[in-house]
Amino acid sequence: MSGAPTPSHLVVVLLDDDLLAFNRVIGVVRRRNLPVSGIRVDNPSPMGNGRSAGGMLRFSFYIQADEGHAERLRLQLEKAHGVNSVEVSNTSEVVS
Amino acid sequence: MTEVLTGSQILCRELLAAGVDVIFGYPGGAIMPFYHALPEYPQLRHILTRHEQAAAHAADGFARASGGERVGVCVATSGPGATNLVTGLATAHMDSSPVLAITGQVGRPMIGRDAFQETDIIGITLPITKYNHLVQDVSELADRVREAIGIALDGRPGPVLLDVPKDVQNQRAAYTPPASRPARGEPSTPPLDQAIREAAQLIAKAERPLIMIGHGVILSSAYGEVKALAEKTGIPVITTLLGISAFPESHPLHLGMPGMHGEVHVNRAIQQADLIVGIGLRFDDRVTGNTAAFAPRAKIIHIELDRSEIGKNIPVAVGIVGDAKLVTARLVAAVKPRRAEPWIAEIKGFVRPRAESFSGDLSPEAILAAIHETTGGQCTIVTDVGQHQMWVAKHYPYQRANTHITSGGLGTMGFAVPAAMGVHLARPGELVWAISGDGGFQMNMAEMATMIQEGLSVKMAIFNNGYLGMVRQWQQFFHEKRYSCTPIWSPDYVKLAEAYGIAGWRVENRAQLEDVVERANAERGPALVEFVIAQEANVYPMIPPGGSLSEPIEARPAPTPAD
Repeated sequence: MSGAPTPSHLVVVLLDDDLLAFNRVIGVVRRRNLPVSGIRVDNPSPMGNGRSAGGMLRFSFYIQADEGHAERLRLQLEKAHGVNSVEVSNTSEVVS
Repeated sequence: MTEVLTGSQILCRELLAAGVDVIFGYPGGAIMPFYHALPEYPQLRHILTRHEQAAAHAADGFARASGGERVGVCVATSGPGATNLVTGLATAHMDSSPVLAITGQVGRPMIGRDAFQETDIIGITLPITKYNHLVQDVSELADRVREAIGIALDGRPGPVLLDVPKDVQNQRAAYTPPASRPARGEPSTPPLDQAIREAAQLIAKAERPLIMIGHGVILSSAYGEVKALAEKTGIPVITTLLGISAFPESHPLHLGMPGMHGEVHVNRAIQQADLIVGIGLRFDDRVTGNTAAFAPRAKIIHIELDRSEIGKNIPVAVGIVGDAKLVTARLVAAVKPRRAEPWIAEIKGFVRPRAESFSGDLSPEAILAAIHETTGGQCTIVTDVGQHQMWVAKHYPYQRANTHITSGGLGTMGFAVPAAMGVHLARPGELVWAISGDGGFQMNMAEMATMIQEGLSVKMAIFNNGYLGMVRQWQQFFHEKRYSCTPIWSPDYVKLAEAYGIAGWRVENRAQLEDVVERANAERGPALVEFVIAQEANVYPMIPPGGSLSEPIEARPAPTPAD
């Protein structure tokens, strides 16, 4: 009875290495009320001193959402103060 | 010239440098250094509200009355003072209003220790501000104020908050005034040639086109461009709740308001349209009803500054990201002159005889007509939320731009009275009427004291039907007429006004109407008029929540003289 499974998307957010920016990003994701899994936070290029190259933080996760919701999330994330870039990929493109 | 100043002095200097001359606020422990410095800057007029929520609404009203060109400023202390701002900030956020909130915070050594009146206002306001920041040191304060005001005004406007610990307010630092005043950024428009061409082609081919305009037209002052587009193409214009007063109601191409309480002919036109040109609006659920059934035959051209709004609720054929004024001007240049007479005649066939809200002596329509006629339309109307809000939206014949101010997105009861104070200060010398129901008025009626203390000449109208009327109406239609907790008692408003030193009148029949409204207009200071209307007055037509625009609940038509 159920239709095709909702596709999964990998979302990668590059943001300022700053708690407030991180908090804003989490707020934007939480508000969408979408199933989220595989949350990961890291520095794109660790410098060995706990801070990332260029003061950046990488926040990635998977969402179960159709293309429209995934694109909507990307646009909302890009508006958040402290976000530098957002990439959203259908997992079929990144997972074999 | 560089000077050594305290954080509080720097705050005041930055506000002045940004062109701020009015702030709304309420002092308290963690913001006392700021209030200590304030008398040194008499150019900053402080309005002492009776509640911080009112300060936020007043700042919002001030900003809206400036057409989003000036930031409205509100100030509160930490803890309860800050949390009391929240509803006002959420209201401003939903309606894209540039408000700067400054909150005191406990001293830095106390943060995170559950200190007296400590609350995480940054965490609380994250989802309802464009930007917020806890100032860590006086050395960053000036930059943060400039940044916050710039963000509030830039692009799609919105509220921002700066949380300033008490010890930072007392810290000293070298201060250099800014070389220039932060201002609303010049709108930029990316290359749009292809999108404009596509939009112009769709407009040329359409047989049943509509223009639908929202708050973005007011925020970008795109009045002339929208009028030019309508007149060049002959396309009728629909104004959403927040788009009201962006297009003159007397214009032959003006149709009215769409949506849940929109006119039947407007909603039917949407359902029959083959093209909708949406400018500066977000197609929210009160406008569309069931989105799956909204405008089923129409292609949508959506012009909107915030690209995340395009396609959010309604699929679009052409989305154009950009300032409403600039994009519409380019569209006007791109379209060829055309007419839509057969379509307009078809829409006229959809028009139903307008039924009064009830058949009694003192109808909401008559009250609004009296306010319009006695002021010659030369006033700004600020409404609360509920039945009266819809009556005003549907019946007040707005002719002047940006003279209708209301809480559209959040739907905040208690908004009208404090917001009207802000409007009055942004437009000194102009008449301002705050129109509320008996429910909403009682939420912020303490602001009558503010009006007297600060000399704010706001005219207040209370539509008193003894009910939380819109909720009662929903109970009537959708909850088996179980009027649970909606009857609401009111004090004697005339005596209450008198207690505050405000002139007050009660109007119970139509014969009193014009005389009383004229006397209220003529009062030098604030004035209050209670209009006693029927309990069963309803707003018609109404689309059931989640329903299609094709399925309105309509009132019985008004009786004809022959009946």
